Amino acid sequence: MKVSDIFSYAFGAIRLRKLRAGLTTLGVVIGIAAIVALLSITQGLQATISEQLQTGFATDTLIVSTGGGFFMGAGAVTAAESDFNLLVNYTEIIDEIEGVVTSVAVIEKPCYIKSGEREFILAVVGVNFTKYVNIYSSTFVAESGDIPLNPENEVVVVGKRVSDPWKNGTIFCNVDDAVEIVWTNASRLPPRNETHTGHVAAVLKEIGGFGIGPSDSRVYIPTSQAQSFFGTDECNSIIVKLENDDEATIESVSEAIDEAFGGQVQVTSSTAVLETISSIFSIVELFLAGIAAISLLVAGVGIMNIMIVSLMERTREIGILKALGMKSRTVLAIFLSEAVIVGLMGAIFGIGFGWVLANVAARIFTGGGFAAAGEQGAVGGEFAITPIVTPTVMLGALGFGIAVSVIFALYPAWRASKLKPVDALRYE
Amino acid sequence: MTILITPVLQTINLQKTYMLGKIPVEALRGVDLKVEKGDFLAILGPSGSGKSTLLSLIGVLDKPTEGKVFIEGVDASTLSDNQLADLRRSIGFVFQFFNLIPRLTARGNVELTMAILGLGKAERRKGAEELLETVGLKERMNHKPAELSGGERQRVAIARALANNPKFLLMDEPTGNIDSKTANEIIELVKRLNEEKGVTTIVVTHDQNTALQAKRRVRMLDGLIVEEKVN
Repeated sequence: MKVSDIFSYAFGAIRLRKLRAGLTTLGVVIGIAAIVALLSITQGLQATISEQLQTGFATDTLIVSTGGGFFMGAGAVTAAESDFNLLVNYTEIIDEIEGVVTSVAVIEKPCYIKSGEREFILAVVGVNFTKYVNIYSSTFVAESGDIPLNPENEVVVVGKRVSDPWKNGTIFCNVDDAVEIVWTNASRLPPRNETHTGHVAAVLKEIGGFGIGPSDSRVYIPTSQAQSFFGTDECNSIIVKLENDDEATIESVSEAIDEAFGGQVQVTSSTAVLETISSIFSIVELFLAGIAAISLLVAGVGIMNIMIVSLMERTREIGILKALGMKSRTVLAIFLSEAVIVGLMGAIFGIGFGWVLANVAARIFTGGGFAAAGEQGAVGGEFAITPIVTPTVMLGALGFGIAVSVIFALYPAWRASKLKPVDALRYE
Repeated sequence: MTILITPVLQTINLQKTYMLGKIPVEALRGVDLKVEKGDFLAILGPSGSGKSTLLSLIGVLDKPTEGKVFIEGVDASTLSDNQLADLRRSIGFVFQFFNLIPRLTARGNVELTMAILGLGKAERRKGAEELLETVGLKERMNHKPAELSGGERQRVAIARALANNPKFLLMDEPTGNIDSKTANEIIELVKRLNEEKGVTTIVVTHDQNTALQAKRRVRMLDGLIVEEKVN
């Protein structure tokens, strides 16, 4: 029997039982849709994050921090429990190291920012503007106003989302406005609110995302002001700009810094962070795909169940086919073809449905971030996920859908092919 | 024994024992049968005489417990399942309950036999139309079995059985499930096919009238052939 005849015979059998075939296919559709939706969202998310991180932080930078892990434990955590504190003036030590262009200390504290009737909780970051501009020359750029290179103490620079939190032109603060920064000093008893009135000198151009470098939803003040306002010489991290982003340079400078501080600091390279993120995503992706795959397995069991029932109903038909001289392997092929058709249709509809699902989910996610967090404020960026359905995902889903259907159809198909013609014909 | 002309079908000491639970039932107890080309043989017998068992053995749908079936001199017991399937392609089955595929049209059912043979679409279409014309169903060939009468269904079944140009037609109570007037028409058709086209035919029946239309008849009782007559 010709392959095309086998398929058309199988298709005819499926068409006869539309509802049953439809429900069986639905199982595959759901399984494949879940896989496609989850994979395309994770991949879209990963692409968005990686892209924003790459623009947000230059690959020729290192981040020096005290132990505990700068980014989800990337690298060593040896200094985690020590009393070691990173001080602002350690940049002088780092600047001496060969391969380092410059370094900047970052002091970061959550504060209330008030302007008029409104207030937000935001991260206030104290940095040396000159150095910061040098390191993040593509992102720490003013959209309006100017970033002063030798700033007065009361100067502040705000991110785009601080200026325009709702993205609708309702301005929270603009250049030349005064903002009140309130910090609760809990290191003394009773805790006291320290207030500092800043003068907005510049609004940054929109950066997007939530990079490690400059962010849309932060307020920047000069280092000296941060030191006196927060009453500390400690900094959260030191960003180091390297001469280049060669692996050798990254490694030698990392080692030199580590040595200079007696192994009490942790040095993380941007590249390492990116790698860590992408490896985390791989795990998440695998995990989610695994969960979705379970639903496909359930669909497979459904296929098997339906085929066994249909096998009983069609015993007589199989007997007729065999009496007409059909070979066992052709009977097997007919039943497997039915599974291939169900799997194929399920996969095609599943991919389409999954794509729709991913886009709907992406719509829900998008528009989150700072603005959605509303008056409460939040230190977060805002980003849009574009679900990515790669050809690999599509082909994989197609193959997986068909494979699961066929694997679960193997046993019923084999049983059908093994029926004895005389018994099958007598079957009532 | 010298066989001058190889018979289309020959059985030698054919025996079949079923296990009905734990009790062995001897359905056939040694049947010797010879059918030459162009013959029209009726196998008569009451129910339980073993005629259906004999039919499934000579149709190579089942294997005998003892004895041999030769089809054009080929010993069926030496063949693999695949070769048996091939052998069945040269036998035309007609069943009492028609056994048509309900979802296929009359033509589709006839074409199915040819599709199993691996024939192309155009060839199948032409062949099926010719066969349905032969059995007098040209006008009804796009109807499904449910839309056809019993006699019409049996005609489709005969056309289907002829579709692989069989060595012989094997009919199991072909008139058992239709009224006597239609039954006569069917028998007339079979007779005509036998006389005009030389289709070798074996009919299993318990109906005396049908049997009398054949060239030859044998009577079975308790798994043995007890009487052989030329009409």
